[in-house]
Amino acid sequence: MGNIRIIGERGVGKTTYLAALAYWSDKRRKGKKVRNIKLQALNDDTRELAEKAENILLEGASLEPTGLTGGIDLLPFYSFGLEVKPWFQNPFQKPELINVAVRDYPGEVFESLADTSAFRPIHQEFIDECLVKDIDGCLILLSEWEQGNDKRTSRAIGKFIELMDKNDRIRDLRLAIAISKCERGELWSGRLEPDVDLFERHLPQTKAVLEESPIPAKNRRFYAISTFGVLSRTDPRPNRIYIGKNSILREPKKWQPHGLLDPLYWLSKGKGMGYV
Amino acid sequence: MGIVYIGDRSVGKTHLAMELANPKNEHVKVLSPDYEALKGMLFDDTTASVKPTDAAREVDLRPLEIQAKLASGLKSIEVKWVDTPGEVWREHWQKDNPDKWHKFADTVRKSEGILLVLNPHRSLLPTSIASEYPTQEQWCKRFQRWIDFFRYDCPKAKHIVLCLNKADLFCKVEQEAAKLAFHPNGSEMTWRNRHIYVLQKYFHPIQQPIEQIGQSTTGLSVQCFITSIHSRSLLELPWIYLANYLAR
Repeated sequence: MGNIRIIGERGVGKTTYLAALAYWSDKRRKGKKVRNIKLQALNDDTRELAEKAENILLEGASLEPTGLTGGIDLLPFYSFGLEVKPWFQNPFQKPELINVAVRDYPGEVFESLADTSAFRPIHQEFIDECLVKDIDGCLILLSEWEQGNDKRTSRAIGKFIELMDKNDRIRDLRLAIAISKCERGELWSGRLEPDVDLFERHLPQTKAVLEESPIPAKNRRFYAISTFGVLSRTDPRPNRIYIGKNSILREPKKWQPHGLLDPLYWLSKGKGMGYV
Repeated sequence: MGIVYIGDRSVGKTHLAMELANPKNEHVKVLSPDYEALKGMLFDDTTASVKPTDAAREVDLRPLEIQAKLASGLKSIEVKWVDTPGEVWREHWQKDNPDKWHKFADTVRKSEGILLVLNPHRSLLPTSIASEYPTQEQWCKRFQRWIDFFRYDCPKAKHIVLCLNKADLFCKVEQEAAKLAFHPNGSEMTWRNRHIYVLQKYFHPIQQPIEQIGQSTTGLSVQCFITSIHSRSLLELPWIYLANYLAR
């Protein structure tokens, strides 16, 4: 079982990412094959989120942000079952079954890491929960890559690494660091090799902080995620429209996310999905 | 989550809510209280019109249990309908009734959904009835005060729903209803497209301030509707929209 937490600033798309996972896991999407992986929603919170994806995202509106109110105890728990079949059909090899439990934290928690003066006891509650021993890994979503953001992001990640160390998690907590909303024109072409084409190019300071930290190299990986995807293989315009600080699907019927499962699988198992 | 249902005097707030409970429904059904009970409470048979909400009364919390048919199936929601007398927006009323005003303001502060009902302005209306309504300039100024209200008095608001009511007075409701209609099995318009259509066609004098509300706060969405008690489809739309978020 993989026990995973998702952190990132407000508006990076943490809940939308989970809603997409929940939606694509729903049995109603039978016709859509996600490689040779079956994803199943296992609890009510996840099924409720799948319904929100259908009622809200697919109807051209955006999800609500996750609030701090109520603290860690009121935060939903999303639970997925992953069934991974071997790429080459082998009658003697059983599919691999993994349960993944995920929670996404309000954006303020990550923001408070970059600005220690804003760090309050309620943020500590979330960080404490994130760093307990039974958490396998943490997905850090980043969406701002323009100049100037690297410094703030590297500061937040540096602080998080410091807290990992303090909580004795520096050597055994996996970190998947992903740039979200990768359908944006400047990023889309870099999605295949995100460590080189996205992080080294746009967030070099953040990458350096991670690579120079005591986190073992096998416990950190860089990813590119696009929850909304592009319109089609031949029309690589983002399937996203920005409305102020929210965004919606440009063409709900063409919704095809990119890279949702890889970080979850790696965080749970410590190995990539390359072989499937 | 609470929804506060607000608007100036005589914009038709109570009548809209009462008609929502009408059993001749499409996708939104009020499970309780039933239409007859609500009508008995709110309708004046002698004048054949809805009684104005009593300004001397306490701020009234009416629980409404609503069932909406969404794309993913039937969903029940419980709404705390805060029925306010239109006078609460007048400064003298607030000064004369400080306790009631504070109680109301406190309820609003905790609400995540704000459903604001607006009257049309004169420029939209036929001249025969136009004088009973505010001029476009007055209407825009009044809306600016609503923006201040959203900004300073609604810190928890995540959804602001603007309903330009009495649509039967300024458009062909059947045509508009057909265009904007919600179909659980696939609508022609997305929520975004409905919003843009209504915003540009009917809210254009205040389009810029409306867009600014959504841009200024993360996670706050604004959605515009036209409503009328004479069009079931238009009447239900704001509630279907809110049910997507409020359904538990």
